[in-house]
Amino acid sequence: MNIILGVGIILVFGLLSGKLAEKVKTPAITAYLLLGIVFGPFMLGFISEDMLKVSGTISNIALSLIAFSIGQNFSGKIFRQVGKQVMWISILEAVGAWLITLIGLLFFKVPAYMALIFGAIAAASAPAAIIMVVREYKARGQFVDILMGVVALDDAWGLIIFSLSLAVAKAMYLDLSSSLGSMLMGAVIEIAGSFLVGGVLGIILSRIGLFLKNQTDLLIWTIGVIFVATGIALHFHFSVLLTSMFLAAVVVNLNNESFKFFDILNHIDWPIYLIFFVLAGASLEIDLLSKIGVIGIVYMIFRIVGKFLGTYLGAHIAKSDDDVKKYLSLGLLPQAGVALGMALIAKEQFPQAGNIIFTTVAATTVIYEIIGPFFVKLALHKTNQIHN
Amino acid sequence: MNALLGISLILLLGLLSGKIAEKIKTPAITAYLIIGILIGPFSLGFVPESIIAASGLISNFALSFIAFSIGQSFSKGIFHQIGKQVIWISILAAFGAGTFVVVAMMVMGLPVYVALLFGAIATATAPAALIMIVRQYKAKGRFTEILMGVVAIDDAWGLIAFSVCLAFARKIHFNHADSVFQVMGSAFWEIGGSFVLGGVVGWIFSKFASHIRNERDLLIYTVGTIFFTAGLAIHFHLSVLLGCMILAATIVNVHKESFRFFEVLQTVDWPIYLIFFVLAGANLEINLLVQIGAIGAVYIIVRILGKCLGTYIGAIVSNAGSDVKRYMGIAQMPQAGVALGMALIVKSTFPEWGAMIFTTIAATTIIYEIIGPIFVKIALHKANQISADLKHQSTELAH
Repeated sequence: MNIILGVGIILVFGLLSGKLAEKVKTPAITAYLLLGIVFGPFMLGFISEDMLKVSGTISNIALSLIAFSIGQNFSGKIFRQVGKQVMWISILEAVGAWLITLIGLLFFKVPAYMALIFGAIAAASAPAAIIMVVREYKARGQFVDILMGVVALDDAWGLIIFSLSLAVAKAMYLDLSSSLGSMLMGAVIEIAGSFLVGGVLGIILSRIGLFLKNQTDLLIWTIGVIFVATGIALHFHFSVLLTSMFLAAVVVNLNNESFKFFDILNHIDWPIYLIFFVLAGASLEIDLLSKIGVIGIVYMIFRIVGKFLGTYLGAHIAKSDDDVKKYLSLGLLPQAGVALGMALIAKEQFPQAGNIIFTTVAATTVIYEIIGPFFVKLALHKTNQIHN
Repeated sequence: MNALLGISLILLLGLLSGKIAEKIKTPAITAYLIIGILIGPFSLGFVPESIIAASGLISNFALSFIAFSIGQSFSKGIFHQIGKQVIWISILAAFGAGTFVVVAMMVMGLPVYVALLFGAIATATAPAALIMIVRQYKAKGRFTEILMGVVAIDDAWGLIAFSVCLAFARKIHFNHADSVFQVMGSAFWEIGGSFVLGGVVGWIFSKFASHIRNERDLLIYTVGTIFFTAGLAIHFHLSVLLGCMILAATIVNVHKESFRFFEVLQTVDWPIYLIFFVLAGANLEINLLVQIGAIGAVYIIVRILGKCLGTYIGAIVSNAGSDVKRYMGIAQMPQAGVALGMALIVKSTFPEWGAMIFTTIAATTIIYEIIGPIFVKIALHKANQISADLKHQSTELAH
């Protein structure tokens, strides 16, 4: 099957599955992922090797657009209102997931260095899945503002926690005490580099954007700059997500008419997300589900407990509403590419344990990705963020 | 350079060059092609390999969109008014260009079968260039409608002419007696198959279209169906252009609110066209220009003369306005992918002269592609299809 036919089929069936999902009150993203699993190499084998090969580029495109739309929540105004809560909650839910997962796994006699890495991976969440649900149901309100902020910052904390844990684990396992500093340095460079690229390009995007009057030019300009940012981030091994988020955050604070950059993307981005999630579903390794094992189950449960306790504590300190305390952690359950990326690094660093880590995370990702969006929807529903 | 940096480079340079072109009153498409030539592998080499490799895919995406938007001009209402003119002009313009080139090439001393092949290729035009300019300058009116129709149908005549000439050339050169009917058969299969494909998919599309209400679904449904059609066309070796045109023509005639599908596409398609034309420029082998020679020069001039004369006669026969008589010929100047595709077939069929034909067509395409759009714009301008306040403004998306 040629690629263009494959894309056509994905779009048409994606639309159909989304409609069916709507009937059974399920988020569209779940339908797209399931469709991907059905089309993927483990079932129908419908999606060809050719397509999976380009899925790397498609996922970078989709993730950069998603991160860009998350970034718009970092306006000075929103930050003054919810900044304190976002800070406390995001730090504590990340640390909470890390710590509780670590302790839980130690309790089940998992070696300390492995438990440390699992804990670090547990901190990650999947901004893409979360924002898709928010977008689909047009959810609005303070809860959504806080959730978006937490999901965004989450990524930066996750990176720091992961590189620290990886350094410590290496020191414990391979006895290389020197690597701690350089590991942390690596994380700091990744985050700072992303900020720098996003910041500089954000200034350029918004300054020159002032001169573009018609919609076509604006669209080309916005996409062009987002891709430059993403391309540079990839080239220097910075974070695509952080770079694009920060790009948007700078634009939103510099330009009074910044909504026009986001509005224009809203017209065109959904088909890209659809393709992205169907391909993501196709690359989920569902055959690993049977290998999920005790470690996988413990990891899943304790991560949720950690997220919940951390969020609760953070919300308590920042004096958030009861809604936030109770339900925000439900919105943080999806896990996908970021966690898989971390697991891949662990696999490269630790030949044996790394394999177990990767397999387990790849398997739990299947479950988190499919169930996660339901919980996001539930959280948004319970907190009355979905208006019809 | 990774693929994303490459795409962003193309988008941003394209945007900039389009702005500059606007200042000097040149169509944006010419600017995109020139940028493509500059950053392509034959000059600066800025475009990463991975993107050049994906050119074929991107051009199918873009051409399917372009063909779809051309197809919307085939509504019954419009056809009743201008159908007769479109048919006469398109047939005679194709015939004129073909015969002129065949005769000229024989005068130049080329073998008859080589002259026939040049003549067949001369009938082809490039719908993409035309639709870009119509969009950019928001050209509207009877002249524009007829031109769109001619350029669309043209493709079918070109295919028939090409396969007939190819068959004769094979007979003359290799003495294959039976191949005439076979080759004709394959042309009819290609045209007939494209019609059936576009018609069936378009009909199904229209039946379900009333369930699609919001903008988001509309976009997915439209884009998905276009790609589905184009993909099937490629799979069965049919014409992507004809398949997608017929798809649109069917929708326009079967579904009452079909304008929604064309409008939603206009919000997204321009960046794809931009990338497509920059890549088209990057793939032009400009080093061939020096080899264009006397034959290439004759081909360029004589083809245009044939198009103009054919159009003139067609316009007289079908009682078209004097604008059509005078200016529609030069508006059919652009030549691109369709001609190159034909030349490629020739190259693989005739070892002796094929390479020379291909090189000549590839070289003349460069000139037609770059100069053609300017003539299209002049034609639209002279025929008063560009309203005064929009002349200096590039496209505005429909909200």
